[in-house]
Amino acid sequence: MSHEISRPVAKIDNREKLAGDAQYLGDLHPQGMLYAKTLRSVKARAVIRAITVPPLPEGYFIVDRHDVPGKNRVKILSDDQPFFAEDRVNYIGEPILLVVGPEKERILAILDGIRVDYEDLPPILTLADAERSQLPPLFGADNYFAEYHFSRGQVDEAFSRAARVIEGEYQTGYQEHVYLEPQGVLAVHEAGKITVYGSIQCPYYVKNALIQAFGWDGDRVRVVQTTTGGGFGGKEDYPSLIAGQAGFAALKTGRPVQLLFDRAEDIEVTTKRHPSAIRLRTALDGTGRITAMEADIRLNAGAYAGLSAVVLQRSMFNIAGVYQLPALKVRGRAVATNTVPNGAFRGFGSPQAFFAVETHLDEVARELGVDPLEFKIKHMAKQGDWTATGGTYQQEIKLPELIAEVEELSGYRRKTADFARRDGARLQGIGMALFLHGCGFTGSGERDHIKARVKLHKRADGQVEVLAANADMGQGLRTTLRKIVAQTLERPLETIIYDNPDTDRVPDSGPTVASRTVMIVGKLLEEAARKLKAVWDQPGEQEVVKDYEHPANIVWDNDTFSGDAYPAYSWGVNAVEVEVDPSTYQIDVKGVWSAFDVGVAIDERIIRGQVEGGVLQGLGYGSLEVMECRDGRIQQRSVTDYIIPTALDCPRIESRLIDNPYERGPFGAKGAGELTLVGAAPALALAVGNALGVPIRRLPVTPEYLMEVMEHGGAD
Amino acid sequence: MVTAFTPRTLVEALRFRDAGPSIPFAGGTDLMVRRKRWSGTTPRFEQPALFIGGLPELQGITTGDGVLTIGAATTLTALLEDGNVPALLQQAVAQMASPAIRNGGTLGGNLCNASPAADTMPPLYALDAAVVLQSAAGTRELPIEEFIQGPGRTALAGNELLVAVRIPPRQFKISAYRKVGTRKADALSKLSFAAVAEVDDGKLTELRIALGAVAPRVVRSRAAEELLLDRPLRQIADRLPEIQAAYAELLRPIDDQRSSAAYRRTVAWNLIRDFLLGLHLKP
Repeated sequence: MSHEISRPVAKIDNREKLAGDAQYLGDLHPQGMLYAKTLRSVKARAVIRAITVPPLPEGYFIVDRHDVPGKNRVKILSDDQPFFAEDRVNYIGEPILLVVGPEKERILAILDGIRVDYEDLPPILTLADAERSQLPPLFGADNYFAEYHFSRGQVDEAFSRAARVIEGEYQTGYQEHVYLEPQGVLAVHEAGKITVYGSIQCPYYVKNALIQAFGWDGDRVRVVQTTTGGGFGGKEDYPSLIAGQAGFAALKTGRPVQLLFDRAEDIEVTTKRHPSAIRLRTALDGTGRITAMEADIRLNAGAYAGLSAVVLQRSMFNIAGVYQLPALKVRGRAVATNTVPNGAFRGFGSPQAFFAVETHLDEVARELGVDPLEFKIKHMAKQGDWTATGGTYQQEIKLPELIAEVEELSGYRRKTADFARRDGARLQGIGMALFLHGCGFTGSGERDHIKARVKLHKRADGQVEVLAANADMGQGLRTTLRKIVAQTLERPLETIIYDNPDTDRVPDSGPTVASRTVMIVGKLLEEAARKLKAVWDQPGEQEVVKDYEHPANIVWDNDTFSGDAYPAYSWGVNAVEVEVDPSTYQIDVKGVWSAFDVGVAIDERIIRGQVEGGVLQGLGYGSLEVMECRDGRIQQRSVTDYIIPTALDCPRIESRLIDNPYERGPFGAKGAGELTLVGAAPALALAVGNALGVPIRRLPVTPEYLMEVMEHGGAD
Repeated sequence: MVTAFTPRTLVEALRFRDAGPSIPFAGGTDLMVRRKRWSGTTPRFEQPALFIGGLPELQGITTGDGVLTIGAATTLTALLEDGNVPALLQQAVAQMASPAIRNGGTLGGNLCNASPAADTMPPLYALDAAVVLQSAAGTRELPIEEFIQGPGRTALAGNELLVAVRIPPRQFKISAYRKVGTRKADALSKLSFAAVAEVDDGKLTELRIALGAVAPRVVRSRAAEELLLDRPLRQIADRLPEIQAAYAELLRPIDDQRSSAAYRRTVAWNLIRDFLLGLHLKP
């Protein structure tokens, strides 16, 4: 079904980006601007005994913890990470101080001359280290930034009565965002007010972090998003750190200060996707039905808590996949290690969970001697069923339709049968993954924490400006939000304005994360536009405001993790076909077929872009993107060594959207940005497992790993 | 102080080489990357850079004396565009880096950089190529195996320039190249494989196998090749254990950020084995 709103339009930023006119952070050079470069820890864990700085030339500055006017902690969830190290360092790359000045060569020379006297402490480098009691803990008594439990149904009883119990452990590695534009901010201090321009996703996160760090009133702090070259979650949490640092430098020097990373620095020290280790145990009755599942999820959080607790929650809430399980018990831990802190990344904990559950259920089915897809279909949730946390799937679940679409596109069942009759020469396989993504903030986050507000401003000339804090980082938000307003007002798209947000001008409509923006902010804008339309004929300027109202039937208890973890769910099915080279163990992805339920697409071409980008980023996560930390140091520190897919590595990706309007989304739209990444790696791993006839329990599925699997005849 | 010099002729360049230490700079695709510093600062060269990429004497591909002579500053792209360049070398070059880097990078630069993973080397080893080194005092020619001495080390003297690569005029009915990279394009090699062979009347009359990135230098085992030469193809399968033993001591790969020693060793042998066992299928 086609909706008027879904018809593609040219993205508003096409022209400026194609012409090279878009002004990114690095293009801004205000008069008198200074450069900043960071002195970083070379130790994974140490006490700083002393820092010796050479005499500074005129016009050059050191900015460190003594220059923080307010609190030397980055405001995220808990205030644990310092802007600049104090008496100790907890990971290689941790910022200690900035050298600031007009000439880069001299800044480098000053950095070379600084001596840091460290006293080594025994570092906690791995999950295993973290659980060894002889090492002094990095956080609390047990090294867990967060530890949660929840359960539903009679789990222990189900296991004690089980006809069969099957278990497996699944591991995933790091993923680096590799946004095209590295992290960067520019801070300006003028007339008692600090302004930070930045390549960011969440202007108000940065503003709130600055308010705490400076100890100033909000009206003295302003944050402006600059045209942002990709985020993928990487510019959700990290920019608050460097915004503070550059801000302190601007305050100290009285000059604008640019802090802009090179690629190698960005890869090594910014947040990444959490590596995970997930153990699943499934109890089955005599008929081969699942009666209960137990999950134990550990995420490597790195040296500071950051967003890890919430990432962990999403891993936990998604561990049952798309399935209706009678009983479920979940334990989750975010583990502190002396490694680079991990953070938000498209999918936010769910890619790890879906890899584990999709792979595990495939193994369970094979052990039972039944077809994995039929086994999964038998356990799929339907409308009215319970979610993992005991909420209710309130909308229709169109998984059967999605599977049918993907079956039609891919020939999954026929190929499964064909490939099973192996001729020995070719290792071909196809895998299918079923997945969902909970749209928006977890539980009651929108109501309790975000409290989004939007404004529409109608100018005297009839143009309407969208006033919201959400950032277009390439995903097309400036186009889609304008479309929603234009179509509601029945006004031409060109008459709707949406500039990069500036906190002095826009209300806090929340961060651009969690697949929430089109669904939540878009809906607020639709409602605001409806209000505006009702008074459209009144002369002159007008402003309408719309605040978030929580749906009464979404109920959540954050203490027990029970109820509706998300207001709505988007759904997807992916099939991936591979051929594995028996001599080099390299994976050739032959094709990807996918179908998604994102409610209604606000723009079909933009969604197609999300699908292709998300699938490819997911395939990279699943196969190519190796990042290892050895002795606390990231080994792949350049785009030469950290391998993301090129155009030649991009298979044919065919996709379809099915129509399933969501009443509380604008024009029926739900979230789409993260969903598209989630299913690619599990489907790829299943395809490889299918080709080789062995379970794949680790991401990324590298040739080196496959060699081990093939030589030893099984995983791990 | 001279920090860089752009000669107009080879003679000028060699005179500069003679006058003191310098770093020959052709395409710069390795030299510049290795010296990459903070964006907005200039790379630092330990010695004056000698810009030879534009020297006319180092360009072009000729077949004058029967031997194929490739000017050292010939770009990788130019190698792909010349019909006289052996297919084996072209196959390797076609999978190197990206089009933009191939437009800048040169054959001579790839050799002088002397990375164990240099992709042009295994084909040149298999083709018995030689290099021409020239100084103000004269010219000498070395087999490529003698020119490359180890990672980053060559036989190039401080006053010399690599001016050409020479490949004997020989066509092979059978040739095979395989790059095992980290992805399908714009990738460094985990290892690479190049081989040529001739079969006459069911017998192997020529065999040359070269492997890159599995040891400090390209591996070519004449001992292993001898084990099969002038023998019937049907005996190959039986001799595989001997062949494998001959290669085993030469394959000395490392663990690094791109792959593991175990993978490189195993896959190197798999590719040798596949090639040898596939010979009876070749025309």
